[in-house]
Amino acid sequence: MSERKEQSRIPISKIQRASKFVSTGAKVGGNYIKHYSKKAFNPKMDRSQLDLDNAEDIYESLSELKGSALKVAQMLSMDRNLLPPAYQEKFTMSQYSAPPLSYPLVVKTFQKTLGKSPDVIFDTFTKNAVNAASMGQVHQATKDGKKFAVKIQYPGVADSISSDLRLVRPFATRLFNMSNAELDHYMSEVEGKLMEEADYDLELRRSKEITEALAGKIEGLYFPKYYEEYSGGRVITMDWLDGVHLKEFLATNPSQETKNKIGQALWDFYNFQFHELKQVHADPHPGNFMFMDDGTMGIIDFGCIKEIPDDFYENYFALLKPGFLQDKSEIDKRFKALDFFHEKDTPAEREIFSGVFTEMIGMLSKPFQYDVFNFGNNAFFEEIYAMGERVSKMKEVRNSNGARGSKHGLYVNRTYFGLYNMLNQLDAEVKITKPEWLNGSTEKVA
Amino acid sequence: MAKKQTAKTAKPIDSKIKEAYIDFVLEHGKEPASIYKFAKDLKMTEVDFYNHFNSFKALQKHIWADFLKETIANLHAEETFVEYSSREKLLALYFTLIEVLKSNRSYAMMDLQKLRKGDLKPAFLDAFKKHFYKFVDEILLQGKETEEIIDRPVIGDRYTEGLWIQTLFILQFWANDDSKDFEKTDAAIEKAVNVAYDLMGKSPLDSMFDFAKFIFQNR
Repeated sequence: MSERKEQSRIPISKIQRASKFVSTGAKVGGNYIKHYSKKAFNPKMDRSQLDLDNAEDIYESLSELKGSALKVAQMLSMDRNLLPPAYQEKFTMSQYSAPPLSYPLVVKTFQKTLGKSPDVIFDTFTKNAVNAASMGQVHQATKDGKKFAVKIQYPGVADSISSDLRLVRPFATRLFNMSNAELDHYMSEVEGKLMEEADYDLELRRSKEITEALAGKIEGLYFPKYYEEYSGGRVITMDWLDGVHLKEFLATNPSQETKNKIGQALWDFYNFQFHELKQVHADPHPGNFMFMDDGTMGIIDFGCIKEIPDDFYENYFALLKPGFLQDKSEIDKRFKALDFFHEKDTPAEREIFSGVFTEMIGMLSKPFQYDVFNFGNNAFFEEIYAMGERVSKMKEVRNSNGARGSKHGLYVNRTYFGLYNMLNQLDAEVKITKPEWLNGSTEKVA
Repeated sequence: MAKKQTAKTAKPIDSKIKEAYIDFVLEHGKEPASIYKFAKDLKMTEVDFYNHFNSFKALQKHIWADFLKETIANLHAEETFVEYSSREKLLALYFTLIEVLKSNRSYAMMDLQKLRKGDLKPAFLDAFKKHFYKFVDEILLQGKETEEIIDRPVIGDRYTEGLWIQTLFILQFWANDDSKDFEKTDAAIEKAVNVAYDLMGKSPLDSMFDFAKFIFQNR
């Protein structure tokens, strides 16, 4: 991911951005035509070429947008179960690439927020960004022999979030087979979180809180220190973390032992956040984790924190309790509390959705049923994906009015998917630690 | 020696008139009724005024030119400025200009609101424009040397004018910008300058033109 796409044109106005999406829509349409005409001659052709074509065009268009649109691409790429594998690769790339901000604007941002130019504050400061963050970019700086990462936000990000999301809407309904109601449900939570992420003061405060709470709790993990004196407004300064991203790390062929060690640290990291802190780093994409040769790992970017409300916590994790799936009345109670059921559902509908959700939970909570789980097992992920595809095609599910599932679940699920996904790539075997009240082996399903 | 002395004393009167004028316009929302009255309020004679400016119009031009001069002086005070590429220099100019104008926003707004769409030569920006052209000519030259910018026949001479139109666009955008801390103006500057430099830089059109010329000459 070292080569970032320098863009030749930046879409200027909202209209131009909109037209960008329209042209992508047209291209996607064209890909379908291409697909079906090819298929007419070769009936055995499957969808993967089509998916790849679509993913490329969508990626092209999203990579030219900054800020929220890029973020949406990230979100989509994390929800692996929603996406055909061909998209996955492409979208993961979008997490690294965004058109860079010019140096004069960086200087101006510094002067506005800190009153001085970066080269006055630091001994050295890279003129070009060394990395893209989702809503900004990262520069490397040094002072008194210490290395810092300085994150700078794109101007006007907060203002553009709502309009960017509106632009993505028609696109998302079509591409991901979502109804408008489902999308509304999704978008309002996403928009709220994005607004929070755009607030660097909040991020600074939370980063400090959560890294201090986590410090020393889990072996093999370390966090950057944040520097208030060099932060504010649209600038955040923290320690520079050495290490490489997951892909490059895996390319160095680490031993199984090292991979297990890292996988375990990751699992414990999230376990601690879910059950002790009740707030969780909800942005588990590979760019936020820096791997070291010795099997330690640095974790950055606490911009996206999901706080888990108590009642949601109780209902959600109750699903993982031993024997839950055998207890009909408990299922009814929890499903109602989590909005899996609607007031207006007919008994037949209730039956169908109860079945669907029971199956999904059985599948997704599978690791919790073991003491040690091997995430390198691809069959498990293929099953999840196959189920996701099957469910999304079910007539009853597609025609259901209104989304199902508590909106708090969005980011919690996303976090679990991200975690599973990373553990899968790591091919790690992990001891499943969990809080006392979830202990005991659940009935095996699936 | 004597000459130097007058230059020295002239400057304060210069800026005294300027400041008094800005003050007056801001408080009354219009120009002073006459130079006579204005000078009298300043406890000077009309002649004193005419020694420096020959009309309020000239004074206005002078004020705007000073905004730009201050901007350029600030730029040169920045150590890294000399290392900037041509594109970065233009970006820095706009960013700094907006900062300078920000501390005079009320006054600047009064003039900018009078700007009509399509008016490429607003009178109050006359002197400002001269200084802008001078600055831009320098950075365009730098750009051509480093091949950031391609010199093209005919249109190559019009780059400066193009950038002037862009400047008017940016000023107007800023005047109408209601985003927090004028963040949208920052984004507009960034994008506009990128477009300008991408247009002035080497593009597929150049190769196409070159190819078409070749075909035309060799058919």
